Amino acid sequence: MTKDSLAPYYAVLELPPGAPLRNVQNAYLRLRRLYSDLSVVLEPLEEEFTAEKRQAVLAEVEEAYQKLLSAIHAETPRSALLPEGVASGTADDEAEVMAFGGLALRKVRERLAVDLSEISKEIKARVELLRNIEEERFEALPEEAYLKGHLRNFAQYLGLRPDKVVEDYLGRYRAWKKRK
Amino acid sequence: MNQKTKTPPPYEGEIWAIGGGKGGTGKTFIASCLGSLLAKKGRQVVLVDMDLGGANLHSFFGIDRPRRSLTSFFERGASLSDILVRTEFDNMTLITGDIHSIASDTITFSQKLKLFRQILKLNAQNVLIDLGAGSHLNTLDTFLIADRMIVVLVPEVIAIENMYHFIKNSLFRKVKNVLKEYGFKEIVQHVWDRRQEFGIRNLKELIDYLKGSFSYIGTILDHELAHFRVSLILNMVRSNQDIVLGSAVKSVLQKYLGLAVDYVGYVEYNDAVWRSVRERKPFMLNYMATGCASNIVTLAENILKGREVTLPGGSE
Repeated sequence: MTKDSLAPYYAVLELPPGAPLRNVQNAYLRLRRLYSDLSVVLEPLEEEFTAEKRQAVLAEVEEAYQKLLSAIHAETPRSALLPEGVASGTADDEAEVMAFGGLALRKVRERLAVDLSEISKEIKARVELLRNIEEERFEALPEEAYLKGHLRNFAQYLGLRPDKVVEDYLGRYRAWKKRK
Repeated sequence: MNQKTKTPPPYEGEIWAIGGGKGGTGKTFIASCLGSLLAKKGRQVVLVDMDLGGANLHSFFGIDRPRRSLTSFFERGASLSDILVRTEFDNMTLITGDIHSIASDTITFSQKLKLFRQILKLNAQNVLIDLGAGSHLNTLDTFLIADRMIVVLVPEVIAIENMYHFIKNSLFRKVKNVLKEYGFKEIVQHVWDRRQEFGIRNLKELIDYLKGSFSYIGTILDHELAHFRVSLILNMVRSNQDIVLGSAVKSVLQKYLGLAVDYVGYVEYNDAVWRSVRERKPFMLNYMATGCASNIVTLAENILKGREVTLPGGSE
């Protein structure tokens, strides 16, 4: 795919043509979050900018992201991007996952090709902690109240529904606690 | 936010209008600061207070009751150059409103045209027009004569709602004006009057319908609206979350209305603003050391250089 043919996709993600992968990812996550729920910015337009139209925007954003991701992958050594075996995203991540444990969170993150260190900076949580969440090292995790907050931010960053993620993950955490 | 995003060419001057729909968002404060900054840069500046029902721009410069005001223009036929009021800045003058006599809706069409003609002829490198709240037609028309259409927003739902309303109305007014110029006035009104029949519920759908049904109208609108660009300022922010709200608003205006928006900057909330108003001294003289003032310096530079805001910690 030539540079020019990618320009409309960059425009959908509100980026200048040729923006680096990191910006593409951030823009994708930001827009996905923005058009997924009725925030203060969308609420006043609720009646005219309908759920259906917002869905269309999301589909456009998704398409642009996938197109750019594969174009960027095509010109970057594979090892630098995704771990082996992770398909670059398809449909809705949430739909594919029954319950969010550490592994599912990691998969979603890898599909988005974001580093823990990046998320760490963004949501102000140590990399170590995020890794422990993903690897379900429950014994190393903080008190439930704190954990909840981190999970929420983590989920939000990944464009997942925080409530669902918190509920699923804490379910596993509590089961472990009981067994202990 | 990348600074290289579709930058318009560097700006040369002329008319800036500061509006945004809701009252109390800090339009007048921002206008007074931008005026002061441009004057400090050595530009010839005229600040016009078009908030006719609630004029108070003069008090931001410590002027109590201006002897000359737009009342003389509207009621006694004075010319704008006769009613300029001096400020502490040698190269900046004010055209003040008058709370007591005029309201926006009492101005006649010919008065409005005369006003615009004289604004365009003012001897200044920058004319800054402070608009009142609301979406009155006179307010929209004044907004539309500007080279830079600036909206001031605060991070709160009513302000966002009013701003959408203001921008939609400005756009609708612009579309009507453009099509009138090309002799298609009746079509717009006709389609709008029968909007239920056509399944049109709002402005966006009206524009889409017109474009889809009459390809020549589509061509005209694409051409004329290409220059319809709004600069967005987010005032009274208290957190990074507030700041990124500006990007979200920009995105929605682009994706929903197809509008070009430059998010030129934000201004942090600071009590010094209220102190400065009480002290009746220009903020940009006495409070230059505040974060708030440096925010305004940055956003003014962004407007002048055709750049956008750099978000804190942001890489986009």
